[in-house]
Amino acid sequence: MLNIALPKGRLGDKVYELFASVGYDCSEIYSDNRKLVFENKENGVRYLLVKPSDVAIYIAHGAADIGVVGKDILEEGNFDIYELLDLNLGKCNMCVAAPNDYVEDFDRPLRVATKFVNIAKNYYISLNREIEIIKLNGSIEIAPILGLSDVIVDIVESGKTLQENNLRVYEKIMPISARLIANKSSYKFKNDDIDTLMEKLKKELAK
Amino acid sequence: MNEFLSTLSKEDRLNYELSMLYKQWGYKEYRMAKFEEYSFYSDNRDFLSSSGILAFNNSDGRLMALKPDITLSIVKNAKLTDALTKLYYNESVFRMTESSNDFKEIRQTGVEVLGKIDSYLVSEVLMLAAKSLRTIDEKYVLCVSHMSFIPSLLAEMKISENAKKEIISCIRGKNSHDLKAICDRCGVDEEKTELLIRLSGINGRLSSTLAELSALASNDEMKTACKELGFLDEALAGTDIAEKLYIDLSVLNNTEYYNGIIFQGYVEKAPKAVLSGGRYDKLAAKLRESTQAIGFAVYLDNLNLYYRKEREYDSDILILFDSDSSSVSLLSTVESFVSKGFSVRVEHNAPEGYKAKTVYSFENGALREVK
Repeated sequence: MLNIALPKGRLGDKVYELFASVGYDCSEIYSDNRKLVFENKENGVRYLLVKPSDVAIYIAHGAADIGVVGKDILEEGNFDIYELLDLNLGKCNMCVAAPNDYVEDFDRPLRVATKFVNIAKNYYISLNREIEIIKLNGSIEIAPILGLSDVIVDIVESGKTLQENNLRVYEKIMPISARLIANKSSYKFKNDDIDTLMEKLKKELAK
Repeated sequence: MNEFLSTLSKEDRLNYELSMLYKQWGYKEYRMAKFEEYSFYSDNRDFLSSSGILAFNNSDGRLMALKPDITLSIVKNAKLTDALTKLYYNESVFRMTESSNDFKEIRQTGVEVLGKIDSYLVSEVLMLAAKSLRTIDEKYVLCVSHMSFIPSLLAEMKISENAKKEIISCIRGKNSHDLKAICDRCGVDEEKTELLIRLSGINGRLSSTLAELSALASNDEMKTACKELGFLDEALAGTDIAEKLYIDLSVLNNTEYYNGIIFQGYVEKAPKAVLSGGRYDKLAAKLRESTQAIGFAVYLDNLNLYYRKEREYDSDILILFDSDSSSVSLLSTVESFVSKGFSVRVEHNAPEGYKAKTVYSFENGALREVK
């Protein structure tokens, strides 16, 4: 039995459709209830629906064998897992965004508001730029408008939210998409099952 | 003896059984102090698997560290002779945990061999590593790698050290998609990129994968490594551990310290590697002149979590008594049960959730079974 951790929400729905299309369906998942664990013994899969930011934690601790998680979460944490496949779903970019009229002042440390503290730190270390991090948990776009920060580091999908808040992409840090990850021990002991699933996914993604 | 072992926790039982195993193979126990000068560990910080070192000042003002690693200390301090130095240890190390960024005491056991290391010794240490894993769980896998494959290929590439670090991180994570993107970005030629991806993706039993590995060996270092792995395969063929040995070149250690065969062990119920080791001539040469070395460590700290012992009863007998009972008579009753091999707990009231095979109440100098 393969235990698969999926992120709850839009990305999770897309990923489930992909898995179902290659023979790992579990129709119960569509039932309108509050269950978080769904099992299809015939297909040998058990889906666990968890908070997107927790998928990698479940995998690293072996509570699930494989899972799907955004690259942003993997980069932000430091998880001892295997990253097996880029599913090319949920594509977006990790960006530095700033007010439309922003001009960078190199005389002083840059004030950066973000919930991706490690990604922001690592990015500016690579540029040898001194920064002051302001950790926020949501509505990051408001920080430069209120003068709380000079720029923000956040995920940009269509850019519409930025636009509506008079912000623009200032620099692109990295592309983000959903990744198939596996627990290292599960990969050793359920290798045939995981490899079979991976091959099927690769074929489907190549179509 | 088995009855005695069954009363121990998984960690304690393993400590005992692994010590016996290493003794049987002629290894001597090595005991050491819990701390050592801080500067020794800070000079060799790259060798440590965790960045934090727990330091304190001793009475004469010297900065000391609670040992974050055992191998370093053994290589520096063990008495070397013309013969091989074969040691095992059972010690605590103090490391920063990734999950809580806090220090934790971790129990570790393992073996180290110092001296002139040949192919026999490599197979003996691999054999002991496999037997150690089997002592933890019959379902185990020992992943073998060699430091001459990926590092020698990376050395041929004219790319920055940062790019190499990124590539190594991808290889450790079996992440071929980002690996390809980094190679493309750095202008690595397609042939080398493809070879890196194929090497890091190799995953199969040692015996059945050697031919594929030999076909991919593109330089002299890789060819020599294939020969070493061939010796190992030959030495262990026919033993019951042969089918548990897998080639996995995504196992990569620090190139400044390690060379030759390296390995990691997994057991079914633990989510991460519980054993790690390999040949570390480079570290040995740094600390002791013309010494070679190989060894491994078994991490016992979380095994109690993954191998929980489900006990049916807390004790064989629970005796409930009131303060008016005769102490002399009660004590002799308990003593009589214990001398017959029963475990007994005596209480005024039954502890919450306590399970005993038989519960007695002790009244007027006599036992009455409580249903």
